[in-house]
Amino acid sequence: MSARDTRATAGSPLGALSKWAHAVWSRPSASISGLFVLLIATLAALAPLIAPTNPYDLATVSILDGRLPPGQEMFDGTVALLGTDGAGRDVLSAILWGLRTSLIVAISSATIALTVGLTVGLAAAFYGGRLDAFLMRVVDIQLSFPAILVALVLLALLGKGIDKVIIALAIVQWAVYARTVRAAAMVERRKEYFEAATCLELSNGRIIWKHLLPNSVSSLIVLATLQTAHSITIEATLSFLGVGVPITEPSLGSLISNGFDFILSGAYWITFFPGVMLLATVAAINIFGDQLRTIINPRLSR
Amino acid sequence: MFAFILRRSIQSVVVLFVMSLLVFCMINLVGDPVDMLVNPESLPDEIERVRRDFGLDQPVYIQYWQFLKGALSGDLGKSYVFGRPALALMAERFSATLELAFCALIIAVIIGLPLGIYAGLRPDGFATRIIMGMSVLGISIPTFWLGLMMIILFSVILGWLPVSGRGEIGVFLGVESSIFTMDGLKHLIMPATNLALFKIAMVMRLARAGTSEVMAQDFIRFARAKGLPRKRIIKSHLLPNILIPIVTVIGIEFGTLIAFATVTESIFSWPGLGKLVIDAIINLDRPVVVAYLLFVVALFLALNLIVDIIYAALDPRVRLQGDDT
Repeated sequence: MSARDTRATAGSPLGALSKWAHAVWSRPSASISGLFVLLIATLAALAPLIAPTNPYDLATVSILDGRLPPGQEMFDGTVALLGTDGAGRDVLSAILWGLRTSLIVAISSATIALTVGLTVGLAAAFYGGRLDAFLMRVVDIQLSFPAILVALVLLALLGKGIDKVIIALAIVQWAVYARTVRAAAMVERRKEYFEAATCLELSNGRIIWKHLLPNSVSSLIVLATLQTAHSITIEATLSFLGVGVPITEPSLGSLISNGFDFILSGAYWITFFPGVMLLATVAAINIFGDQLRTIINPRLSR
Repeated sequence: MFAFILRRSIQSVVVLFVMSLLVFCMINLVGDPVDMLVNPESLPDEIERVRRDFGLDQPVYIQYWQFLKGALSGDLGKSYVFGRPALALMAERFSATLELAFCALIIAVIIGLPLGIYAGLRPDGFATRIIMGMSVLGISIPTFWLGLMMIILFSVILGWLPVSGRGEIGVFLGVESSIFTMDGLKHLIMPATNLALFKIAMVMRLARAGTSEVMAQDFIRFARAKGLPRKRIIKSHLLPNILIPIVTVIGIEFGTLIAFATVTESIFSWPGLGKLVIDAIINLDRPVVVAYLLFVVALFLALNLIVDIIYAALDPRVRLQGDDT
């Protein structure tokens, strides 16, 4: 048996991917939520091109346009479909730009956390013993604190800034990935192909990289989806509290916080619409993740 | 068993110590609190004097040593903003947070439990699908935004409930709380419901899972065969069996309620611990931030320790497992 064959137990990664893609397509709630997630990502990516105005270009924003209700025409003739905020920025444009910031933060922190968690989880499962015990103890201790609290503490210590928020969110999330990867890798370790690979005296690095990693990674797809939704919410909450992203690059959370000052005067649209966008984004990702879970692991749903 | 408790306690103390060191060192990297303490137009020697008075001219390790010495005798330093001991400030605010968290818990159980049991009894019903759909929405909805929407609806549009503060505080059996006055209740209901939303979905899911598990048991089948009315089966056979795990989880989750209260308190200006710490973070009020963090770390370590001990007492495997590492 060659080393190459041992990898084939879980089917080739590409084959599994196309199978899942097919399964997503045949389930209406999965495909609709999936398309919606894609749409949101596209909107965020194209924000500078499709937003009616540039809300952070001081030359075009006029304070005279402040707090216009939805549908009113602004000073320069553009219609503010969702109204304007206190400083005269078009809320719709601000939402598109804010969505961009929110997604950048969530995706980059998820990527860092995933990389760190994957490394730690695989190392713990592969080497076992003291290293495993120590790493998992650290994971346990960290996970015994609520994510929002850890993030709040870190930002209190690190200070403000997009990079700081990304670091804080990555630190908050790595432990979840590490624990899940370790659990999956422990199962793989007991399988025959792993034993075969060990018997062939392949190098540790090769076994981890070529055998353990590809077979443990599927458990992370669902988790990464749900965690991204979670970190979007955490980032929004932190920015709302005033410890997240700076005012100069507002995310959806900062937009909502910005509108907080105006709700008592009845200018509901400044908080309402960014919140709807946030809810739609998080809900779509959550539903999609839930559907993915059912598709990848049908045993979980009855 | 004793060795297990001892080992876990020592571990908790070590974690607390490491956290205090980390927090103390890192917080010294952010901003200069002297800027917040003095008028920006003060003379340089005035600034130097303030720096000396607060011990901020010393190297970090000496500051930490001083802090540690104080902490062991129950003194976590004075707030820069209020000029009062941080611990006393926190103690004052803690009752408000506790009250909020407690009411939120009750609301979560009152709403979550019946819905969860219903969903568990009729897994395929139409109402169940709506309930479960709502629970997905409940998890996705950013609670701070929902809090703002509640203010818009109930305070701005309908004008039923006050926007902020704790309201009038009544005293009953020596306990001061907003629950005992009408005005206090009006102030309490919105923040408590908002905080409860985190937990309603959780209680619901637990109740649903518990119900569908217990309803499949033989003793339920027997009770039904005996011809007991449905109400009676639910009340005396189902409820006691699903309540134990729910109560355990709620106990563990109480800590997270206190953590999440920071958000709710900021929205509704509830004068609790969370509001105190957010203000402290923004104002660079170091002693309060450090004191709060250590308090929360200690609280969570204590909660986890208690849970671990209870588990170990119930299940010998847990305490034996740790012995060989």
